[in-house]
Amino acid sequence: MTEPVTVASRRQWPLPRLADPAAPLLEVRNLKTHFRLEHGWLQAVDGVSFRLEDGEALGLAGESGCGKTTTALSLVKLLPENARIREGSIELFGIDLVPKAERAMQRYRWREISIVFQGAMNAFNPVRRVRDQIAEPIRYRLGQSETIAKARAVELLDLVGIPKKRADAYPHELSGGMRQRAMIAMALACDPAIVIGDEPTTALDVMVQAQVLQLLEQLRMDLGLSLILITHDLSVIAETCDRVLVMYAGRVAEEGPVSRVFTAPRHPYTRKLLGAFPSIHADRRTLEIIPGQPPDLTAPPPGCRFAPRCAFAMPVCTEVVPPEVRFADGVRVACHLFPTSDVQTVSVAPVAPAPPLAPPPSAPA
Amino acid sequence: MTAPVVPMSVGAAVRPVGGVGAFFKKLVRRRNGLVGLIILGTFTFLALVPDLLVGPLQTAVTAAGPRLGPPTAAYPFGTDELGRSVLNLTVHATRISMVIGLLATIITVGVGAVLGIVSGYVGGRLDGILMRVADFFLVLPTFVLAIILTAIIRDVLGTGSREIAGIRLSLLVIVIVIGITSWSSTARIIRAQTLSLRELAFIDRARVIGASSGHIMWRHILPNVVNLIVANAVLTFAGAILTETTLSFVGLGDPFQPSWGQLLDAARTVGAPSLGAWWYFLPAGTAVVMVVFAFTLLGAALDDILNPKLGTRR
Amino acid sequence: MTELLRLTGLKVHFPIRHGVGESFFGRPSRVVRAVDGVDLTIEKGEILALVGESGSGKTTTGRVIVKLTRQTAGSMTFEGQDVSRLWGTRRLRDYRRKVQLIFQDPYETLDPKHTIGSFVAEPLVVNHLGGSAAEREKIVVEALEAAGLRPGAAFARRYPHELSGGQRQRVVIAGALVLGPELVVADEPVSMLDVSIRTELLRLMLDLRTERSLTYLFITHDLSLAWVIADRVAVMYLGKIMEIGPANTVISAARHPYTQALISVAPSPEPPEPGARAKRTILVGETPDGSAIPTGCRFRTRCPVAFDRCAVEEPPLIDLGNGHAAACWLAENGAAAIGPAAALTAEAPAAR
Repeated sequence: MTEPVTVASRRQWPLPRLADPAAPLLEVRNLKTHFRLEHGWLQAVDGVSFRLEDGEALGLAGESGCGKTTTALSLVKLLPENARIREGSIELFGIDLVPKAERAMQRYRWREISIVFQGAMNAFNPVRRVRDQIAEPIRYRLGQSETIAKARAVELLDLVGIPKKRADAYPHELSGGMRQRAMIAMALACDPAIVIGDEPTTALDVMVQAQVLQLLEQLRMDLGLSLILITHDLSVIAETCDRVLVMYAGRVAEEGPVSRVFTAPRHPYTRKLLGAFPSIHADRRTLEIIPGQPPDLTAPPPGCRFAPRCAFAMPVCTEVVPPEVRFADGVRVACHLFPTSDVQTVSVAPVAPAPPLAPPPSAPA
Repeated sequence: MTAPVVPMSVGAAVRPVGGVGAFFKKLVRRRNGLVGLIILGTFTFLALVPDLLVGPLQTAVTAAGPRLGPPTAAYPFGTDELGRSVLNLTVHATRISMVIGLLATIITVGVGAVLGIVSGYVGGRLDGILMRVADFFLVLPTFVLAIILTAIIRDVLGTGSREIAGIRLSLLVIVIVIGITSWSSTARIIRAQTLSLRELAFIDRARVIGASSGHIMWRHILPNVVNLIVANAVLTFAGAILTETTLSFVGLGDPFQPSWGQLLDAARTVGAPSLGAWWYFLPAGTAVVMVVFAFTLLGAALDDILNPKLGTRR
Repeated sequence: MTELLRLTGLKVHFPIRHGVGESFFGRPSRVVRAVDGVDLTIEKGEILALVGESGSGKTTTGRVIVKLTRQTAGSMTFEGQDVSRLWGTRRLRDYRRKVQLIFQDPYETLDPKHTIGSFVAEPLVVNHLGGSAAEREKIVVEALEAAGLRPGAAFARRYPHELSGGQRQRVVIAGALVLGPELVVADEPVSMLDVSIRTELLRLMLDLRTERSLTYLFITHDLSLAWVIADRVAVMYLGKIMEIGPANTVISAARHPYTQALISVAPSPEPPEPGARAKRTILVGETPDGSAIPTGCRFRTRCPVAFDRCAVEEPPLIDLGNGHAAACWLAENGAAAIGPAAALTAEAPAAR
């Protein structure tokens, strides 16, 4: 990469009319997406803010139920019936998508923000050729002729490593890894500004996963993709992303450059999460345990939502919602352990080694 | 292969719901179960003691009313073309329709469910044979079979108004014919569901802990296909009453006792709809709809009780 | 250390059938060789991890051990007795009590229509064990509490949908414990669970091993997980064991190119250092189909260091001492032939 590619220069299609070229690619402010249940509102996403710059890869990390998928689906407003965005703004090129009506959203879905889903098998219609399904958004969203659309689909498949002669295969004729590649090709069909990957490699074998991650990396280099990767697998984020946003119970726990957050985690939850991740590079049987369970999000605890499970919890944690503290190295943390006053000077203690998972067994003969 | 049914004691020991009494209580506690039971109970009562309510069955000889007369105080549901009370006929028809419906449903659903579960779970050659047999019955035309069977059975057992276990022979023929021609579709549906259930981990788990095939079919597959069985029973019941109508129409019914189907058929033949004699067909039609509706309600209640996810919510 | 279970020359071949008519009359035309000659012993008290990608035959091997799948060839002994030909509910009764299975998906393993208590009690009921209903209930409550579900009596009354994924898997473990098994085959027991819950369950499994002197066959696709929990690791590829040995040795001194490649791409939350990516060996293509296993060494089509001999002769498991063995011709001539990753670093081909 010799010269930086900008959104406008890279794109084949013009920006939306109202786009502000000076605005950041995506700016999410205080997003609150709640689900209406029989007995109240489930606060799945409750005050999440982040920014995605052009060409950047952001990882949304967290365990199931932390709101990472809801956050991503809010961006394209592909939410279940009972979900509402109750507060906040989602600005794409400076255009707020939250007030947009369903019809107006069509302009942005897939054309500006596309999604690579986890189960590629379900995302394809089993009785239609893969090439034709990839051509579909090019024809209908971009109004191209069938010939052009199909030719473009074949090009895209080639780009993701599916040879031309396999382009007219049916989904079941492709292996899991190939289908995930085809899914990526489909997400790239309209040359979107942002591609969201929702657990894109979770169902794949380790080796195939490595291949797909390598492909994503290559596509980022070649096309200057802006990527939001949602996964519970921290290694995937370590591998592909520039920045990581760790979510817990609908809120941001910690956000910052991958190189900082993963090597010197500050939020107790991030520390635990990293410590719980098995790695062949670490000592055996030293995995962290996070006691307890995530809170009930219909009635979350006041104050810090992680406080009931946190080893460092102080009286203030159960009463006051921790403010986000921004550090000089680009990391922000929502935790009372880091008072706002000495932000710049705070030194990060190294992660204490975890207690052993179990005493080493009597060595097998 | 062990028998598909194990002694109740084994099942009952780990059964979450109590005995029949507790089950009945659960059924009555649900509004749909209660209403369904009340409707069915009423019709069962009518079927058992029709004379108590409307006197003996009226015939062309004992008929005293006007021809095709509209409802009056003396004839609340009007009269038919022979001057018989439609109320009297409808109530007396209850027994035949209910008996045919119930017996045909029991045969159809019983045979269909057992063969479907066994065929789907055991699989292999047995499955192949059973399903070929099912296919044979699936394509068998009801009428042709009914005509042939009636002839054969009458020939073997003699004609006339002989009864077997209190049921007139011609009725038995109708029940058998309906049962034979409809069990196979039930079996096919249950088998398909069993096949997909068989792949689930809890079936593997049951095998690993040493459960017999009979136990697995009875405790794990049956409860998971009950909703299908109930849905099928409802459809079969309604279908049986209608089939009886058609068979009566071609002279294979029992001419000595009226059924709802026969009443509807008679009303149609006389041209009651075009003559505006709505009272002729409405009672029998409503009765059919009510009974089917009651079965649907009971089916839904049963599904609620057997489905713990729905059970705890209310 | 005494031997608990031994597999000798185990093969499982599945026929591929076509069409409806053939299911009745037809003869299988092709076979998938899911397990294709596995020799394995499990020592009493150890945790042996069986690692492999999908299509490696690891799950099928586990299913043969718990007698859910019939082997095509080969034999299996348990506590010195041949159990290969033991079939039928009654004849398997004793074996089933000693060998239990923990499933991958706690959502599918629990029958939604049964309570937790009924699930845990079922092994006792079907085997006519545990005495009266009251005694049985006591055993159930104990098992639930041993699995960390307290109070056991309260959990026993609940239904599966009322529990979280981690709790469900504890129920599955409790259900496997009531018969007092000696060998527990755990098929991906934590792969459906969140990272933080995983650790608790792994610790539970380790605790139970000590308390109840259990032996585990831990089946997983995740080499890191195997490293964390297992005493010994066996790596499978296309129905055969490629490398086996003490966990430490296999991870730190892998001798089979496949194991080395798996280690190089093993997930890690540490961000790669500059240049570290080039050290990874991302194998080209995908595991071949079990119905078209390559001749010679089955790994050679994807092996970065394959040579002539690999195409003609299938390497046996070559003993490397200390219980370490690898099925690779390059392992034959001592450690110098290939150092970990040394011969592989040149190969970082673009995925295709």
